[in-house]
Amino acid sequence: MTREKNRRKRVPLDWLIDALVDDILATSDADLLKEAQADDDNGAAVARRAFERASRTAALRRSAASKRAPRGGPNIRALDPKTARGWLDEFIASHPETASKLNEAPAAGDQLSDEDVYGLLEALQKHGVLKQRTIDQGRR
Amino acid sequence: MQARDSGALLLTELEVKRAISALAPADWLRLHKVARALCRNANFDAEDLLQEAFQRVLEESRQCSRTVDIVHFLVGVMRSIASDWRKARKRRPEMSLVTHTGTLQEVVVQVRDQRPTADEWLASVQEATCLKKAILDLFADDGVAQRMLEGIMDGIAGEELRSLTKLSQTQFASKRRLIRRRIDRAFPQEWKR
Repeated sequence: MTREKNRRKRVPLDWLIDALVDDILATSDADLLKEAQADDDNGAAVARRAFERASRTAALRRSAASKRAPRGGPNIRALDPKTARGWLDEFIASHPETASKLNEAPAAGDQLSDEDVYGLLEALQKHGVLKQRTIDQGRR
Repeated sequence: MQARDSGALLLTELEVKRAISALAPADWLRLHKVARALCRNANFDAEDLLQEAFQRVLEESRQCSRTVDIVHFLVGVMRSIASDWRKARKRRPEMSLVTHTGTLQEVVVQVRDQRPTADEWLASVQEATCLKKAILDLFADDGVAQRMLEGIMDGIAGEELRSLTKLSQTQFASKRRLIRRRIDRAFPQEWKR
């Protein structure tokens, strides 16, 4: 239904462009190279340049993202709040003495906001006490 | 760098990068020609389209299956981006600031109604008709090519189109090539001469 609707929305030039693209894909390497030579077409160099630029941008973004992520573990903020709460509950249940030493730990009975939960998990991660085992269990 | 949840079916970022870096000169050319074709009538640059497609693939927002040819995959990504950009351009409202006070709070933004007026609609229909005629006129000496072009522009493709032209597979491929080459020469960039 949607396909038919999209089909009807297309204009003659859209169909023509499709046919041009199909032909480019079907043309042999040798013929494409001959065409480029005849037309003095530097398209290959332009495409390579676009790829190099894209590679540089992707590397920069990756590097910026890794700088933002906390060291030594997964990105706690990427967890959904329910999973994060599960991790914290599990940690507190198995390490009540360590959990009570954290400065950020709330007084008993306090309702923890999502932000509190993330903050505590990050603090635990920073102190190196959020063990891989807990992380693995939390993922299940 | 590890394969994602869908396992080893998808290329990793590093594998994609290696596959693209190792493309033959003809494949680089092919990608550029496709980008140029998709940019016709769209007011964006082939190099920008290529860069955006490479970036999406490298950043894994579009992931390539191991069973798919990387060039065909990139062409699919470019088609999708080009379509999105065209739609976005149509939706983007024209805005103008109508104040000279310089303070942000007092700026009034006028958003133009995006629906084409009757005049604009008529003008765009007339423009498209003229262009279609100009393209068909390029093949005034070749009735088969004209018939084929008319079929293409009516949305007919594949075997149906070939039977319309009564050409063999090889003749059909040659005719389609002739059409592309002549259009490329007559309209090197957009649909403007």
